Parts: sequence; structure tokens; C-alpha cells
Amino acid sequence: MSALAYAGVLAYAIAREPAFAAAIAGIGGIGALLLVFVLMGSEELLPWTLACLGGAYALSLVAHGSAIDPRAPLVALGLFMCGELASWSLQERYARATPRAITAARAVAVAALALAGLVAAALVLSISAVPAGNGLAWTVLGAAAAVAILAVAVRLAQRPT
Amino acid sequence: MTRAVSPRLAGYAGLAGLGLVAGLAAGRVELVALAAPFALAAVVGWALGRPPRLEATLTVDRERALEGEQVTATLELVALDGADRVDILLELPHALRAKAPNPRAVRLHPNAPLTLELPLRCERWGAFSLGSALVRVRDRFGFHTWEMHVGQRTSLRVYPSVETLRSLLPPLETQVFIGNRVSRTRGDGIEFADVREWAPGDRLRRINWRASARRRELWVNDQHPERNTDVVLFLDTFTDVGSQGRGTLDLTVRAAASVAHRYLQHKDRVGLVSFGGFLSWLLPESGTRQLYRIVDSLLTMDVVLSYAVKGVDVLPPRSLPPKALVLALTPLLDVRSAAALLDLRARGFDLVVIEVSPVPFVEPGTGELADLSYRLWQLSRESLRARYQQAGVPVIEWREDEPFQVPFEEVAAFRRFAKRVRV
Repeated sequence: MSALAYAGVLAYAIAREPAFAAAIAGIGGIGALLLVFVLMGSEELLPWTLACLGGAYALSLVAHGSAIDPRAPLVALGLFMCGELASWSLQERYARATPRAITAARAVAVAALALAGLVAAALVLSISAVPAGNGLAWTVLGAAAAVAILAVAVRLAQRPT
Repeated sequence: MTRAVSPRLAGYAGLAGLGLVAGLAAGRVELVALAAPFALAAVVGWALGRPPRLEATLTVDRERALEGEQVTATLELVALDGADRVDILLELPHALRAKAPNPRAVRLHPNAPLTLELPLRCERWGAFSLGSALVRVRDRFGFHTWEMHVGQRTSLRVYPSVETLRSLLPPLETQVFIGNRVSRTRGDGIEFADVREWAPGDRLRRINWRASARRRELWVNDQHPERNTDVVLFLDTFTDVGSQGRGTLDLTVRAAASVAHRYLQHKDRVGLVSFGGFLSWLLPESGTRQLYRIVDSLLTMDVVLSYAVKGVDVLPPRSLPPKALVLALTPLLDVRSAAALLDLRARGFDLVVIEVSPVPFVEPGTGELADLSYRLWQLSRESLRARYQQAGVPVIEWREDEPFQVPFEEVAAFRRFAKRVRV
């Protein structure tokens, strides 16, 4: 299912900008190779897989022009589901006798988080459609948010495992 | 408690940051939208990173069991804040097999105790330590994992199943204590031995009136008294030949447990000598406590590699009482134990050697040279047996598929037809 989500997003990116299909497919292919390694047990490669797929989509966006892609939240959902399902399958690989209730609880939780992510992505697109008075303030706010979340990422990466 | 954070969490946060930066740099709001689910997941994952407060107790329904029986290990778990997924693995020795899934996954509700029962089948004898249980707790999304050992270690002793022996090997001489065995000597007892002329001191009730009337003088009955015997189980633990848990040492332990059980039932005194790399002994005693002592000692018996030259001199004299029947269980592979047994015979002990045959556990090699060496090995074993028999020691080969009664009967037959030799 994870591979299916990956293929869906990659196919959408290629279909959106066929002129750059080779470049998009090349980046996506690297990501697909990484996904194979992820599904074989190398979970640490998962962010790189998703980054490749995101990169392929970003390339199609940039190549397509300045028009906003209204399906971007669905792409975000596909990317997220690809990561979650790959990770779930890895964690269940060596687990035996998992009760159905636990599987169902996780499925519900992942679905809820994916839905919340979809709403958040849609909200971002909707907010961007509202004309903002002061462009610089928004830029500063966005940069601050980016820096903050990168700091969180660095902090999480430094945690002992 | 060991904590592990999935690389996915840091990866999601990194992707969210990358998406925001790329969105700002390229002026594309779609990239920010791409980052939104990952940012949300990173925040949720961060918030879920609270260590679980878990308490557990591991118990086993009994401390002792027989081979083939089933015991139940019970694990009681309670999580004060609940846990979405708890994987539990009870680490088991090879000789115990779980009859229910192990590991298994459960979900714990806050403050609600959960009792898990794991039936265990005791496949083989031994002294085991059960637990502790390895518990792995995961949050709902699998971002954080905590691993810990819970529950105290509990001991379980699995005794070897005892083979029923119809008859026991009678010793050549008995001891002075009361027992169930008819002594060769004459004295007060039940079994009639002979009649003889009356002597001063003989009791009136021992007079045989019929014989006295015929001979016209007083004749009395003699009886064989009932006495006990001392049996010393001499186990050769220098070597073990076998595979997959079955081998000469395993057979030796089973046979020793059966023999000790049966002799102790007959009010005899039984002692134990483990003659190997690690030397141990139990002085001959009688009763149920001695049986438990012997079996407990057998459970911990193992082969310890040693090159030290040992003889029976290293044993305390009380472990080998005079007139004791020494029942040696040996695969006849180590020259030290072979020499020690011949030494015992030379000291006048009533010695019986039961050869726990290693032959069924040895695969003859292929090729002419391997075949030749295999035959030479068997010839050398036969030569050793002949040495024992020349010394008047019965050597009986016993194999796994035979009941233990067989060597006893063979020894009895040997004694019936062999001459007693005073060495």
C-alpha cells in the first residue's frame, strides 16, 4: 500500500508536467529504490525516500508555472500515507499474534492523523488565497516557522535512541 | 528502561522544515501544504513521548514439575496511564515450550490490570530460571519505543520422569541396619535359613520341635535377617556424546533418577558420586529428602572440560562406604573414569558397570579410513569391557531404546553364572 501511494504521487507529478517526465521519473526512481530498501528494513532511509518524491513533485510544480495546484493537499496526503504505511509494515514485520483491536486502533489513529494533515494542508492553501496586506510580515512569520520546525527536527535527531 | 525514537520522527520534522524553507524560497504555497501533515505528525509524535508507568509481576504456579508436565506462568501487568501497544516476550529456555503465542501483543487501559497466562510444557529435565519478561511499549503511531525487563526471576525445577523398575539389583553384601533386603548372614529375621543344634542363649521360640523330636536333642531354626544396603551411584560426567538434547549424559541422569528412586523406596541408603571435570558427591542416606537431594544434584549436572588426572583418592572415604554396591553409569569414553572404576574393584567394592552406549549417537564417517577408525574404536571398547570382565565386573551395554530393567536382569544373570573373584 505504501508503494501504491508512492506510485500514485509520482504518476501524478509526471502527468502534471510531461515535458519534464524524464527528470521527474529519475528523481522519483531514486526515491522508489530507496523505498525498496526501506521496505527491506532500513527505516532510516524513509525521510530520504519522501524527500525524493517531494522533490519530484516540486520539480513538476516549478516547471508547470505559477498556477497553484489545488490537488497539493492530496499529494501531501499521499506522501504522508506512503511514510506511515511503510513504517507500520516494518514494525509489524517481526510482530506475531497482533490482536485485531490493536491493528484497528492504529489504523484509526493513522487515518485521523492523515485526515488532520489533509485539513491542515487544505487550510494552508485556503489561507494563501486570502490577499494579505503586508507581504514582508508573512514572509518573516513563515521563515520563523521554518526555523522553529528545523530546530525541533535537529533536537529530535539529537535524542539518544 | 531503554527508550528508542523512530528515525521517522526526526525525518518528519526535517521534511516539514525543508518544505517550509523550499516553499519560502520558491514562493510556492503547495510546498508548504506538503509540509503540513509532517509538521502535524512531528508535533503529535513529540507530545506522545512520555515514558509508560508500567508495573508487572511474574509468577509460576509451582516450583517443581515432572518432565512432560505443564506449568503456567502468569504475568500481571498494569499501566497507570495505559499503553496503546505492549509486546511481551517471556524468555524461555529450550527445554520449555510455550503452548500459547509468545511473544504476544496487548493493549493496556489506564489502571486496569491485565493477567496473561502462558502454559509451558516441560520438554526436558533441568533447573531453569524463568523470566524476567521483556516488555516493549509503543505509542499509538510507533514513534517511541520503550523496552524494559519486568517481573522477578523465578526458578523452576523439572525432574526427569522415572522409569518403573520391577526388580532391583541385589548387592553381594548388606549393611547392619534394618531394611527390606534378605541378608546372606544368619540372625533374627523372617526368612528361614537353616537348622542347627541349640546353643546357650538361643531363645525358646526358635526351637524347631519337629527336628528336635527326630534327633532327640534340641535344634533351633536360623533365619536370614532383613538388612539395608548402601548403593553408590557413580556417574561418569567427563564426556557427553549426543545431539539435540539427547545424549549419554541425559540417559545417565534419567537412569540414575530411576535407580535412586527405587532403591530409596526399599529403605536402602543411596549416595551419589559425579566423577568428571567437576567432582561432586552426596553421602549415602535414606528417605525422601535424600531422593530430592539426589535429583536436585542431577539437575545441575553437566560436563565440565578438564585435563586434570583424577582417581578415586580424591573422593572422601565416607562417600564410598565399605560393602556398598557401586553402580557405575558411564559411556566408557574417558580413561580416567575407566581407571577409577578398576581401582574401585581392586579395593573390593561390589562394582557393576552399566555402559550408557554412545554408539547410537556416533555417525560412522564415510570412506575406507573413517570405516577403519570406527571399527578400531569399537574394538578398543570391547577390549576395555574384557578388562572389566576379567576383574569380575559385569559390564552391561544399555541403549536409549531399551528399558533400564534390561541391564539389571543381565547383571543378575552374569552373577548367577560367574565365579566370585577376590582380587
